[in-house]
Amino acid sequence: MARIIGTDNPLSDDQQRVLAIVLDLIIPASEDGQRPSAADVDVLGYIRESESHTLDGLRAELDQLDAEAFESQGEAFTSLDPATRKALVDAKREREPHFMRTLAMQTVTCYYQDDRVLEAIGVGARPPFPQGYEVPSGDLTLLEPVRRRGKVYREP
Amino acid sequence: MVHSARDANHIPSVPDRNTEQYGGDSREKVMADDVVDVLIVGAGASGAAVASSLAETRMRIVCLEQGGWMNPAEYPSNGRDWETRAAREMQTSPNLRKRPADYPINDDDSPIAILNFNAVGGSTILYSAHFPRFHPSDFRVRTLDGVADDWPIDYGTLEPYFAENDNNIGVAGLAGDPAIPAHEPPLPHIPMGRMGEAMGRGFNKLGWHWWPSDSAIITRPHNGRGECLNLGPCNAGCAQGAKSSADIAYWPANERAGVELRTHCRVREITVDNRDMATGVTYFDADGIERHQRAEVVIMACNGVGTPRLLLNSTSARFPNGLANRSGLVGRNLMLHPWGMVAGVFDEPLASNFGPQGCCILSQQFYETDVSRGFVRGYNMQITRGVPPVGTARGGIAQGTIPWGDGHHGAFDRLFGRSIHLGICCEDLPEEHNRVTLDPDLADSTGIPAPKISYTMSENSWRMLEHGLARGAEAMEAAGAKRVQKASSPLRWAGWHLLGTARMGTDPERSVVNEWGRSHDVRNLFIVDGSVFVTSGGVNPTTTIQAVALYIADSMKQRLASLFD
Ligand SMILES: Cc1cc2nc3c(=O)[nH]c(=O)nc-3n(C[C@H](O)[C@H](O)[C@H](O)COP(=O)(O)OP(=O)(O)OC[C@H]3O[C@@H](n4cnc5c(N)ncnc54)[C@H](O)[C@@H]3O)c2cc1C
Ligand code: SF4
Repeated sequence: MARIIGTDNPLSDDQQRVLAIVLDLIIPASEDGQRPSAADVDVLGYIRESESHTLDGLRAELDQLDAEAFESQGEAFTSLDPATRKALVDAKREREPHFMRTLAMQTVTCYYQDDRVLEAIGVGARPPFPQGYEVPSGDLTLLEPVRRRGKVYREP
Repeated sequence: MVHSARDANHIPSVPDRNTEQYGGDSREKVMADDVVDVLIVGAGASGAAVASSLAETRMRIVCLEQGGWMNPAEYPSNGRDWETRAAREMQTSPNLRKRPADYPINDDDSPIAILNFNAVGGSTILYSAHFPRFHPSDFRVRTLDGVADDWPIDYGTLEPYFAENDNNIGVAGLAGDPAIPAHEPPLPHIPMGRMGEAMGRGFNKLGWHWWPSDSAIITRPHNGRGECLNLGPCNAGCAQGAKSSADIAYWPANERAGVELRTHCRVREITVDNRDMATGVTYFDADGIERHQRAEVVIMACNGVGTPRLLLNSTSARFPNGLANRSGLVGRNLMLHPWGMVAGVFDEPLASNFGPQGCCILSQQFYETDVSRGFVRGYNMQITRGVPPVGTARGGIAQGTIPWGDGHHGAFDRLFGRSIHLGICCEDLPEEHNRVTLDPDLADSTGIPAPKISYTMSENSWRMLEHGLARGAEAMEAAGAKRVQKASSPLRWAGWHLLGTARMGTDPERSVVNEWGRSHDVRNLFIVDGSVFVTSGGVNPTTTIQAVALYIADSMKQRLASLFD
C-alpha cells in the first residue's frame, strides 16, 4: 500500500485508503503469498501515466463511495467491516458498471505487468526481449496421417 | 537538393548519394529536377521486393516513403510494460494510432476496419508473418468454379518468385505439405509447441488436413540476422529482427545495392504529360515542402488502399476520373478476407502464450471448393497462440470468466497459457460495389484526401464464415478444449489484407494493369502491390504479393528495350 501513498499523489489520504480497499477487493493477495494484492502494486501510478484522463472520475467515485458509507452506515468507508465494504462496492458495481469496469481493467493491466506477478505466473520478471522463451518444436510423427492421405489441392 | 532523410538510430549502409563518395558521375546526383529511372512509391512488402529485383539493373532507383525507419530497440517487447505499450503505440488501425506518418481512413461504411502501418517496411512492421502461398486453383476461379475471373498468370508463373522471395527474406516451414505444390522452405519450421500438437491431434481425430505454417520468421540465423526467440508479440514489432519485415529483410540490402530510399516523403499525385506518360510524382518532403520528382518509370506500392487513393487523387484533363482509370475499376473490387475467430480453453497447461503470435500450424481442409457446403471457394484455418497476461486478464474480466475477489487467481490460472485461437480466413470474391473512393471531407495532415471504404459482405462470404466458425469449434472440441467460444464475426479489427483495387487482366475494359503489372492507360506506370490481385485466395496474401512484385520486376527487366511499347 505504501506504493500508492506519496507526496505528489493526485488523491487525498482518504481517497487513497478507499482506493486501496477497492483494489484489494478486485485482486486480493493469493493464499500462498506468491501474488500480491492489487492494493500493493502501483495501480495509481499506472493510471497517472497511461490513463490520466480518468483521474477526475476516480476521485469523484471514491468520494462518493465514502459518502455512501456515511449515509447508509454512519461511518467512513474505511472504518466498515470487510463484509459491509464489499456489499457497498458490489452495489456500486451494479449501479455504475462503467466506472467499476474501467477501474478493474486498469487494475489488471497494471497488476499483470508487475514483477512479482510476472514471476509468480511463470513468465519471469523481465521483458520478453532479449532472453525469449523456449517452445518445443513439436512431434512431427503426428503428421503421418496427413502425409498418408496425400495431395489435397486441385490442379487446374 | 533533395532532403536526405535517414533517421537516427538506423544502421548506416550506403553513403548518401548526394555526397562526393559517388564521384563525378552526374547520373548519381539526385537533384530535385533530375529524372530518375525508376520511382517507387511505398517502401512496404511489395515496394521493397520490386526494388530488390530491379537493383541489379544499376538503374537509378528512388523510393519515396511517407514514414520513417522504425527502431527495433524501441519496440515494446524491450520492456516489462510491453502489453500497455503495444496497445498504445502499435495500434493496427491508423485512425487510432495517429502517428505522424499515418493517414486517416474513413471505414465507417465497412464492417471490417482497415489496418496498416506506414513506415519503412510498411504493414510488415506489424504483420504476423504467416506466409502460406496461394494455391494453383486460386488463379483459375472462373474456369474451376464459375465465379469472378481467372488471373492472367498462374501458380507456375509465380513459383520461381515465391522461392526467390523465401530465400531473400528467410522463410521457415516444413517441406511436404500435401495441400500445396511441393516446395522447400529454406529454414526449419516454427516450433509448434504443445498447443500445436494438441490441435494437430484434434485435426487427426477428424481426419482433416493440417501442417506447420510457412512463416516469414527466421528460425536459424539468416543473412546476418538472429533467429526467433519466441517472444510472442510479433504484431508489435520484432525487437530481435527475426520477423522478416521488409525494413529488416530487404531494405538494408536494397540500399547497399544502390537504391535510394527517401523517408518522410508523402506523395500527393502522379503527374502525366499529354502523351499519357507518367512524368513523375508530386510529394511533400520531411519539412513539408512540396517537390516534384521526375521519373522514367513510376511504380506504385502503397497497398490495396493507398494505391487507388493516389491514383484517384491524380486527376487531369486526360484522366478526369483518376489516373489509369479509363476502365473505371480503380478502387473497385476491394477484397478484405472476412475473418472469423474461435477460441478454445484447455485443462492442461500448454504454455500457449509463448512463440510467434500468429504462426504455428494451419489447416486447409476446407480451402478448395466443395459446393455441397453451400458456398464456392474456401478458407484457411490459422492456429494462433494464446493470449499474454494482461490480455488474458482483461478478456476474462470483460467476459466475466475471471471474477473479482477470491476466485481471481484460480480463474486466471485456468485461462493463462491454456487458450488456443483459430482464425478463419475466408476468400473474399471481387464485387465492384466494394470500393475505395476519396472522402470529400477527411484529409491527411498534408491535405491529401483520405480514402473512404464502402464494403459489404456477400452471401457467399457469410455462408463460408458460418461454416468456418462451426468447423473451427469442432476442431477445438476434437483437440480437447473444455470451453469453446466463437467470436462475433467477421472480426472488425481484421482488415489486414487489402486486395483487388487495380486488378490485373488482359482486357483494358475489365482491368487496370496488364498481365505483367503495367497500366493499360499509362505505359510507364506499374502497380506491384495487392491492388493487382484478381481474386483474394483464402490465405494471408503477402508471400503472393511479394512473388507478384518480383515477377513484375523480372518482366520489366526482360522487356527493358521495349518497356513502353
Ligand atoms: C496487424 C497486421 C497483421 C498482418 N499479418 C499478416 C500475416 O500474418 N501474413 C500476411 O501475409 N499478411 C499479413 N498482413 C498484411 C501484410 O502486412 C500486407 O499484405 C503487406 O504488408 C502489403 O504489402 P504492400 O507493399 O502492398 O503494402 P504495405 O506493406 O502496407 O506498404 C505500403 C507502404 O506505402 C507507403 N505509402 C502509402 N501511401 C503513401 C504516399 N502517399 N506516399 C508515400 N508513401 C506511401 C506506406 O507508408 C507503406 O509503408 C498483416 C497486416 C497487419 C496490419
Ligand atoms: S516471436 Fe520471434 S518473430 Fe515474433 S517477435 Fe519474437 S523473435 Fe520476433
